[in-house]
Amino acid sequence: MTALLEIRALHKSFAGVRALSGVSLAVKAGSITGLIGPNGSGKSTLVDLISGFQSVDGGNVLLAGVDITGRSPQKVARAGLKRTFQTVRLYEHLSLSDNLLIAAQQFDPASWVDELFRTSRYARAAAEGEARCHQLLERVGLSRYARLEAGLLSYGEKKLAALAAALMSRPRIVVLDEPVAGVNPTRIGAVVDILRRLHQEGQTFLVIEHNVEFITRLCDFVVVLDQGRKLTEGTPAEIKRDSRVLEAYLGLSAEMAAARMEGAP
Amino acid sequence: MKPLAVLFCLLLFAALPWLTSSNYVIAIAISACVFTTAAAALNLVYGFTGLLSFAQLGFWGIGGYAAALSVVTFGESFWQGLFWAGTLNALLALAIGYPALRTKAHAFVIVSLAFALLVTLIARDWVSLTRGPLGIPGLPAPRLFAIEFKTTGLYYWIAYAYAAASLGFLYALTTSRIGRTLLAIKQNEPLVRAQGIAPMPYKLAAFAIGAAITGIGGGIYAFHLKIIDPLFLDFYYMQTFLIMVIIGGAGSFWGVVAAGILMSTLPELLRFSADFRMILYGAILLLAMLVMPKGVGGLLAMRRARLKAVRP
Repeated sequence: MTALLEIRALHKSFAGVRALSGVSLAVKAGSITGLIGPNGSGKSTLVDLISGFQSVDGGNVLLAGVDITGRSPQKVARAGLKRTFQTVRLYEHLSLSDNLLIAAQQFDPASWVDELFRTSRYARAAAEGEARCHQLLERVGLSRYARLEAGLLSYGEKKLAALAAALMSRPRIVVLDEPVAGVNPTRIGAVVDILRRLHQEGQTFLVIEHNVEFITRLCDFVVVLDQGRKLTEGTPAEIKRDSRVLEAYLGLSAEMAAARMEGAP
Repeated sequence: MKPLAVLFCLLLFAALPWLTSSNYVIAIAISACVFTTAAAALNLVYGFTGLLSFAQLGFWGIGGYAAALSVVTFGESFWQGLFWAGTLNALLALAIGYPALRTKAHAFVIVSLAFALLVTLIARDWVSLTRGPLGIPGLPAPRLFAIEFKTTGLYYWIAYAYAAASLGFLYALTTSRIGRTLLAIKQNEPLVRAQGIAPMPYKLAAFAIGAAITGIGGGIYAFHLKIIDPLFLDFYYMQTFLIMVIIGGAGSFWGVVAAGILMSTLPELLRFSADFRMILYGAILLLAMLVMPKGVGGLLAMRRARLKAVRP
């Protein structure tokens, strides 16, 4: 497998404070790659740099071999990289189905002329969008809320809605920024199942989280960030054994941390 | 049901000159047509796209002056005047909008306000062009082939055609995916960008379309008054459009149209009490906001939601 998303020596500082110093990582096509790290390790900055929401100070981002460094968020999205947000973002006053349909409209062949005059091309694109929307809402278990205003959903449901919206345009890769932060722990298993099924169908994910348990259950490869640097990377099993990770992550001695990991639900 | 109601209203308004011979009533109807359409244009810019634009007042004034000067100074027809009122405003909106829409929402409000004030100054002080405070009186009645629109009843048709065409266009626009995208931009611009949509062309287009429709309305209203002077840029007009949008419910097409018609007639209905007219008007506005904090549109949406009761 080749790298679908490749990040080369990414640098970013804010007013002299280094957020990222030379982080490189690769996400293979068809994988679920996890990115973990304690608060302030640079995870969110990395997502913002990849998706074009912040400018890069140094380094490159390549999507399927094409350099997308410095492109605007809309151009990154059009190139096939979709992201979600740590604090969930939805169009709160639009219906759930409209939230999904908007996410795909830039990617279908209907132009604004088709839209304004309701041509047959517009009708076809709209029907395809509806079908995809229905399918994805079914997949994340929200289809009965399709007509509901998105703002009325619970927080966990909103996270799933944002995931479904990101998938609408069939992106090459979806970057999930803390998909289970703030989600009821009893429902995290359901999120894992949903993501696994999508992964089995060939969807590539880069998942940012600081819930180690969630990441090690879900991902096939994990990258660990600490203080703006890549600490290590490997399979979930390797990461779990790595004493440096436990120390950096939990701020505990290796033994204590290991004991806590074993005891985790 | 709804298409029939709309058709009925369209026919009723079209038949107005036959239903009444009172120039007073028809003049109110002309104001209602023009103000409601200008409010619907502001609704596109503010209600849908989330851009609180005071520049509408400037576009209104430029439209009025462009139409008047085309006819009086440059010897063109009224229709060419309206064309310039629309085109000039659309181009100006693109020129101002491109830099101003890059700023944060608050800065945009200030820029739009500054633009409106600048237009007022030009109307008053560029005497060689606008004739200053004296204004341009005696604007001639428009002609189309053999018809001269010199009575209020005939002139009403122009205002009616303008309102029907513009509102029809705005309806098609706001109920399309474009309208939905504008609402999305208002609610969460970063998400719009993350979904591959560049917000700028949408915002610019909404601003320019709003400017053109407002400008043509200004031209039609100036020729209804038969005079244009710097008072045409009185803040009263901006306030009227804004009240219609807020009472109607920002972002609700039919809410704003209903509020436009109601708020055009309300001050006239209150004429029975010359002393307390404006006090009553203010009290009704306050009451309306208390009863319907999200305007007529919000009230309609709430009733619809109650009928459906979607959440199981």
